[in-house]
Formats: sequence, C-alpha cells, structure tokens
Amino acid sequence: MLNKVDIDAKVFAGAAVFLFFIGGTLTTIAPPLIDKSWGKPFENSDPSKGLTGKLLPYTEQEKKGLAIYTREGCWYCHTQQTRTLLADTKRSGWRGVDAPVSTPDEFVYDQPHMFGTKRTGPDLSHVGGKYDAQWHRTHFRNPRDLVPGSIMPPFPWIVENEEEFQALVAYLQRLGRAKNWRPDNDYEK
Amino acid sequence: MEEQQVIESTAAGVRTSTTTVHTDATAKWFLISSVSYFFIVGLIALTLAAKFVWPELLGTVSFLTYGRLRPLHVNGMLFGWLLACDMGLAYYMIPRLCGVRLWSEKLGLATAGLWNVIILGAVVELLAGHTQGLEYAELPTWLDVLVVIAWIMFGTNLLMTVATRKYQQMYVSIWYTIGTILWTAFVYITGNFATMFATGVNQANLNWMYVHNAVGLIFTPIGLAIAYYFVPRASNAPLHSHKLSMIGFWSLAFVYVWTGAHHMIHGPISQWLQTIAIAFSVMLLIPVWTVVYNFFATMKGQWHQVRENVSLKFLMSGVVFYLLTCFQGPMHSLRTVNAIVSKTDWIPGHAHMALLGGFSFFAIAGTYHVLPRIFNTKLYSESLANWSYWFFMIGGLGFFVTLWLGGFWQGWQWNNPSIPFIDTVVALKPIWTVRFFSGILMFCGITCFLYNFMATVLNAGEGKA
Repeated sequence: MLNKVDIDAKVFAGAAVFLFFIGGTLTTIAPPLIDKSWGKPFENSDPSKGLTGKLLPYTEQEKKGLAIYTREGCWYCHTQQTRTLLADTKRSGWRGVDAPVSTPDEFVYDQPHMFGTKRTGPDLSHVGGKYDAQWHRTHFRNPRDLVPGSIMPPFPWIVENEEEFQALVAYLQRLGRAKNWRPDNDYEK
Repeated sequence: MEEQQVIESTAAGVRTSTTTVHTDATAKWFLISSVSYFFIVGLIALTLAAKFVWPELLGTVSFLTYGRLRPLHVNGMLFGWLLACDMGLAYYMIPRLCGVRLWSEKLGLATAGLWNVIILGAVVELLAGHTQGLEYAELPTWLDVLVVIAWIMFGTNLLMTVATRKYQQMYVSIWYTIGTILWTAFVYITGNFATMFATGVNQANLNWMYVHNAVGLIFTPIGLAIAYYFVPRASNAPLHSHKLSMIGFWSLAFVYVWTGAHHMIHGPISQWLQTIAIAFSVMLLIPVWTVVYNFFATMKGQWHQVRENVSLKFLMSGVVFYLLTCFQGPMHSLRTVNAIVSKTDWIPGHAHMALLGGFSFFAIAGTYHVLPRIFNTKLYSESLANWSYWFFMIGGLGFFVTLWLGGFWQGWQWNNPSIPFIDTVVALKPIWTVRFFSGILMFCGITCFLYNFMATVLNAGEGKA
C-alpha cells in the first residue's frame, strides 16, 4: 500500500485529495450548518436576555460606504472585532461603558467581511456614534490635526467628494450599533 | 532497499541530462519575469515601510495610498515573484525527475505569457482600488478566472509529464508538486469564488481557510519540492530518509487544511472551531520537524560545503527559517500567546519569515542553481551572489527580530487598557524605523540578485568555464 502511492500517480493523487477533503469539508461546510448564529441576524427585545437591539440590512448609502472602506483598504490597519479579551471590551468601550464582545450574528450582512488581521490603528467594531461627521471630516483630511502621533494616511479625495464622504460616515456610524450597548444612547451623528 | 531507490531517483536528473535534451524555454521565461517582479514589487514594499515612518509620504495621491499599495505588495510578491519563480523551477525539476522532456513547451510558454498578463492586470486594477476586499484574494474576478486557466495549463503540462515518465518511482519533489497542483485548485476556488456566496463570519471562515492554505498548501509544498530537489542536488549527497519524507508529506496533506480558524482566535467565531484549529496547528509540528530533520541529516558531514556554495547557504538558512516560522505558528495559535501577539506587528514578522526567509530563500537557491545550467554559461559573479545572501540575511533578521519584539511589546501595551491606543502607536515608531532600514538591506539583496541574474542571462550560451 505505502509503496503503491510511490509508484502509481493516480493512487497517489487520489489519496492526496481525499486526505485534504476530510479537513477541507469539515472546517468550511460543516460549521455554518452546526452553528446557526453565523447566518441569523442579531435581534433581542427582551432585556432579561442581555442587550436589546436588532441588526438591520445595509441601506444603499451604507453599502456605498462599505465599498469605499474596502477600496481604500481601511481594513488592512483597522480590525472590526471586539474579542473575548477584557482589554478589547475596555478599548472598544466609550465614556466608561465597556463594549459588548462581538458575536457572529452582528456581521451577517457584511460582504466583504471586515474583521481584519492587523491592528495598526484602533479597532473599529464599535466606532459607530463615537465621533460626529465634522470630526471625521477633519480627521480624514489630516489625521494628525486631531490625533498627534497618528500614522494614518490622509484621504483628501474622500473629503472633497461630498457624496463619498457622507456614505463613508454613514457606514462608520452604524458599526457596532446592532446592540444597544450605551445606556444613555449618547450616539453622535 | 528503500534507501537505494531514493538514491537512484535523486540521481535521476544526472542520468537524464546526458540522455534527454531539455530546452527549458518555459522555465527561463518564468524565472526572468519572476525575478523582475521581485525587484519592482520590492520598491513598493520599501515605499510601504517608509509610509510607517513618514505617514505623509505620497499621501495625497489616491492610487499611491497605503491601502492600495499594500495589496499590490502582497499579491505581487506572492504571485508575481514567489509562485512564478516556484513554477519556473517546477518546469525545470519535473522533466528531469521523470526522465523525459516537458510534455509541451508551447503550452508552457503560453502559460508564462498568460501569467504576465495576470500580473500586469493586477497592478492596474489594484492601484485603481478595484479589490474584492478579502486578504490574498483582492484580485477582481476576471483576473481570478485567468489565474484558474493558467493553473490548469500549468497543472496539465506537469501532470502529463509525470504520466509519461520513464522512472516508475516518483521522487518526493514530484509528490509535493502534484500535491501543490491539486490542492491549490481547491484552495484557490474556495478563497476566490466560494466566498462570493457567503457573508460575515461564514465568508471570513472560507477566507482564512484560503489565506492559511495559500501558504500551507501552495507555497509550503512547492517550496519543499524545491528544497527536496536542490538540497541533495546542491550538496551532492543522497536524501537521508525516504520514510521520513513520506511521514512529512502525508501528515501535511491531512493536517494543514484544518487550521484556518486560528486567524480568529478570541474573535467572533465558534469556540469549538477555534479549538479544532488550535489542536491541528500544534500537530503541524509533525510535518515540519520530519522534513527539517531529513534535510539536516542529509547535510551530515557536508556542512563545510555551505561555505563555498551560495545555493546551499540560501537552502539551509531557508530550512532554519522554516523551522522557526513553523514553531511560531503553533505557539501563537495557543489562546494565551495569541492574546498577546494576535493583530500586532508580530504577525508581519512571522509572515515575512515564512515567505521571505523560508520559501523565497528556497526559490532564490533554486534559481542560482539552475541559472548557469539552463542558459549554458557560468554564473556572472559568485561574489555578488554572496553579497545578495548577506544582504537578505542581515536585512531579513533585522526585519523579523524587531517586529517580533515590537509585536510583544505592542501586545502587552494593548492588554493594559489604561494606556491610550495612540501611545501604543507612538511607542512602535523606533521599531518601524529599524524595519525600514532592514528593508533597504533586503532591497540591496534583491538588486544584487537581479543584476547577477540578468548579467548571467546576457552571457547565455558561453558554456561553463
């Protein structure tokens, strides 16, 4: 048997693909069938079951914002996941309120997904409502005007295109808003 | 008995070179274009490293902003340089290991042409911001389709060469090459086409399966095919153990594909899937250590050759980097370590050691070895080749080591939420400055390599001195 895979190319190829397919199917096709929360949008109206709120589909404007976010590669430096780490919930929090941990049901409309792998700038999973549009306008024009020491590139071509700017801000303001995690509802517009 | 067969099959190339005439036209064109892209994309890499130090640099030009250059750097290095160079070397190795000519040089040349269309198309599309927004899968769909066509052309050519082989026993490099051809097909389709029909976490899971296996089931097996061919070849010593190479290959085939979800440890993906990914990540030590031991044991009594032979220098340093990077991988998939290093600058340090320190070193070694042979001349300059090695080595170590240290430092700072985020950015600035200067050294290595390569090509046909 062992000798056969050495001398018979067809048996060899069959074995190589078979072994690959065991893990390949069990880790890609099976998980969403087993774990339904991957495909079901977050919704809860009962405060006794935790945070209330509802994940809404993207509006046309928000979709355009996501496309700009994708085009400019924002996701190479900004993750969108508050992980199950205490520090993450504090860092994503706002005005003394810790952010809830990100769950799969908050992301079901994301195409493409924007979880990210590298955090050169801060995580944006709960940035929605933290800063108003005027702050974003100044920040995109030159991030160092508002955050000295920042190494984020400037994006003048977005600020100078009002439609693109509004779309991008609309997208950013919805991030992390499916769950009503700030008791005072003090979200900026 | 088994050992005897291995020696025979490692010697296969020597025998065939006297009986079969290889034109190597395809190998030549793949190598020429890949080495050129190495240089061009190296410039982009350097620009990106500079932007970390001078964030305003080229900042107001939309198509030169960080977010557009980065995918060009990643895709350009992965597909324009490394994969193309690996393919060129496969076009060289496989016919020699099979004792026959390449099935079709015409098909091979057409593949080389198509590959260049893909890379040039990628440059235009990515700079324009046309991206699918998924890591390693940024190329727009029309280019993905061309990649699939090119891969089928490449695969058919080599599989037909294997099917018509003269030697019944297939040497390890043939296994890894066939594995690469078959696995890549599925992995690439998952990452570039299946993701279109998924969203959110489901899409991310497919994306990480692709990203992880682009390294694990494309660059690892083709890189190991090259190392298995050139380590015995460059040192003129038979491979230590056939059995170990079998354990290495078949454990890789089974284990690697399970690990994709380790890119989202602590993230919004099912805990049980994270645990599976961690368990299999640790198991990766098996295919790695068996392979590495096999190479070290092959070199037993031959280490003095490393001093004289540039190919062996690159090969054995590549093996050490491969060992280190594949020790990091399983370790930082552990939840406790992951909580510190994940998402930090440790990650690019790790990724560059795998793809530059490991697999690019194998590809460069193979290129230096085959270059005089396919162009029927001698290498333009041995000393320039040595210079390229030391530039890559010192620049590479500077790059890897500072990013690991910086990554740990950054991770510990992040885990203390009383430190404002911007302070953790400012703290890393010295690290990024060292990374930029290490990048300059690596770019000098690329320049020496390209110059030596092109000067040798221009002397083609002058025979060996």
